[in-house]
Amino acid sequence: MIGASPVVGPPREDAAAPREDAAAPRDSAAAPRDSAVRTVISAWSAVSPFGLQSADFATGLRERRGGAALNRDRGPAPVEAAWLVPGFDAREVLGRKGTRSMDRVTALAVAATEQLLRGPGGERIDGVGNDTALVLGTNISSAQSIMDFTRDTFVQDKPYFVDPARFPNVVLNCAAARCAIWHRLQGPNATISGGRASGLLALSYARRLQRSGRAGPVLCGAAEEFSVARAWLQTLSEPDLPTSAILSEGCAMVLLEPAGRPAGHLRTALAELLALEFGVYRALTGVQPALADCLDRAFAAAHESPARLWAVISSGGPNLPGVAEDAALTEILGDRVPVRHRATDLVGDVGAASASFGLTAVLALAAQEPAAHGRTALLTAVDRDGVVGCGLLRLICGAGEQPS
Amino acid sequence: MPGAGAEEGRPAGRRVVITGLGAISPIGVGTEAFMAGLRAGRSGAKPVSAFGTDGYEHVVACEVVNFDPARWLVNLDPAELGRASQFSAAAARMAFDDAGLTAAGLRGRHGLIAIGTTYGESRDFDHLVEQEVTQGPHRMDPAITRRVNASRLSVTIAHELGLTDVEAVTIPTACAAGNYAIGYGFDAIRSGEADFALGGGADALCRMSFAAFYRLGAMAPERCQPFDKDRRGTLTGEGAGVLVLEDSESARARGARVYAEVLGYGLNCDADHPVAPNPNSVARCMELALRDAKIKPDEVDFISAHGTATKANDVAEASAIRQVFGDAPPRTVSMKSMLGHTFGAAGALGAIGCVLAMTGGFIPPTINHVETDPECDLDCVPNEAIEADVRVVQNNALAFGGNNAILILGHPGEQR
Repeated sequence: MIGASPVVGPPREDAAAPREDAAAPRDSAAAPRDSAVRTVISAWSAVSPFGLQSADFATGLRERRGGAALNRDRGPAPVEAAWLVPGFDAREVLGRKGTRSMDRVTALAVAATEQLLRGPGGERIDGVGNDTALVLGTNISSAQSIMDFTRDTFVQDKPYFVDPARFPNVVLNCAAARCAIWHRLQGPNATISGGRASGLLALSYARRLQRSGRAGPVLCGAAEEFSVARAWLQTLSEPDLPTSAILSEGCAMVLLEPAGRPAGHLRTALAELLALEFGVYRALTGVQPALADCLDRAFAAAHESPARLWAVISSGGPNLPGVAEDAALTEILGDRVPVRHRATDLVGDVGAASASFGLTAVLALAAQEPAAHGRTALLTAVDRDGVVGCGLLRLICGAGEQPS
Repeated sequence: MPGAGAEEGRPAGRRVVITGLGAISPIGVGTEAFMAGLRAGRSGAKPVSAFGTDGYEHVVACEVVNFDPARWLVNLDPAELGRASQFSAAAARMAFDDAGLTAAGLRGRHGLIAIGTTYGESRDFDHLVEQEVTQGPHRMDPAITRRVNASRLSVTIAHELGLTDVEAVTIPTACAAGNYAIGYGFDAIRSGEADFALGGGADALCRMSFAAFYRLGAMAPERCQPFDKDRRGTLTGEGAGVLVLEDSESARARGARVYAEVLGYGLNCDADHPVAPNPNSVARCMELALRDAKIKPDEVDFISAHGTATKANDVAEASAIRQVFGDAPPRTVSMKSMLGHTFGAAGALGAIGCVLAMTGGFIPPTINHVETDPECDLDCVPNEAIEADVRVVQNNALAFGGNNAILILGHPGEQR
């Protein structure tokens, strides 16, 4: 199968050639778990502490720059530093219309979606119509919005003197729904929550939408904002974190398409999604067996061997589950994988967006490395609340110049 | 236009049946109490005790009372869980035991746990913000800060049931989330990716939603009157519903009691207005659901409406139903007249109500009904349940942000 790089659209010079149409209905009364539609990643975007543009993210990774420092004007935060998206303000980035009451995490998601949907001339890219689906990972959307709204019920003259225009922000599907409204996306619209594994669970949800015939293209990623409220929750809930655990923010997204979809465009695949596997642990000693089990199932489902791995990116929480994740990966895979990172080391602690940033990082790094072509990449996530997950990709380079 | 793949029809797959139910509702805790409440047309409305209500002119909500999580939870200490997680874990325990499943019996079988919610552990935020306001942010209770992530609503179920080979995911798609979660379990089992699923939703009453609905004028002072010409809004509610789904062959092989079959569902997004539903888009979602289920509109015996009793929802939903079902739509009831709006639990409790209606041979009523709004003009089964042979039911759920999810359930005895 190596080298059979799936093209998302049919080759223009040979559009009528027979090809595997994996999206076609098939009789699968006893479909095995690894069958059905093949999903490829054909574009990505990132609004990150390295900058507003996806290209900034790729450059920042290459140069291993840090993000902007915490802007202390934002209020008394219990952390010394944070990585913020530089110059990110909803009204400046997205315009004044429709942004008056938009919270930060929503604006980050709308901006990342905007980049994913726009071609070089600002036009909507081909093959992504208004029936496109959107799947977005989050922890609790915006802790700041929830706490600000709730605070008004205590401190205003009447408990109901709350700002109705900000009510949509306290509902956890706010960012995904606003992305749909902003971009007129009327396909299935879902919000997915699984802590640090949110990005992988979102990929799983998106892939099932395609496999069940509910969606063609899916915009899929995860978002996290920095806020004083999040900093307090993090500091109080995990007081033993090392000071190197810098809170960060951003939104990373990919465009997922069914391989061989007759879309009439020439986007080429950057990677194929081979497998996604999940488990649950309760005590820390359960992390290693749960992760090992996920990896076994993922490699078996993909008919792949760990020996072909080019990169492994863990969610890399700075907490004990993150330490256990790294230890487990070293025990299972040894130290022979050429590229090995923790998402937190690359972009800071982006919380629910950890695995999505891990994915865009691996795509950005592979685009600059011909040796990655045809090899695989592994993404892992271990969340403190108990979710363990992994995703296995086949990288297709050469086609993958970074987004502009 | 639906998704490109949808035009080609969903790949054929395994049939998915419901074999376990767990309900925690404002009209009864436990499936039997819930069913008795639906049949009797009981109201869950009562004065709020969940939080202080000084300053409000009216203080009625549909709160779950007499809920002791310790009665249901086997492996977890309720004191370590937020109220929404207590609800979801207890409802899941009920459903799991009801289905006759055990962790040992499921060894080697892969499962999905999907729980929908609107606000997650928002009740915990009531406590945290009160501590922040009165004592400063540094005095917020660390134990509570550790349990606020929405992922807890699903992963806690795995812990309670002792399951490790499961994909545990929380789907916070607001008021349609229960249907999203059940639909997700359906897809995972249908394709063979999962052998069983626990799907449902949970939410807890909190200051935030009470204040918002009050401020928006979308909350009734005393009672919830869907489709009534004098309806004055919804009542906020709380609870959880969890259903056990499995493929029909393995359910039959183990001799499980089959309550109902999940025939299909539809998902779409209005992409229009943050809070007001778009009737054309809702109609489109119904069409997607019916086509997915391979059911014709005239086969639907009744519709369990989203039916919030707000001005905007009820007229838009009734209009959408007419677009799809014509001038003689099936009976359309709103269980929210009894339960209030239980948010993330609403779709799941609605689905359980539909299943119990098929099992018990009745259609639950829309209570508090005086005079039907001519703009709605539906037979909402006013005030008293009716006996009926129910074979196919449509369960609507429409969320903030235009996230629509509509589920079609069928009687298990039906040949299809």
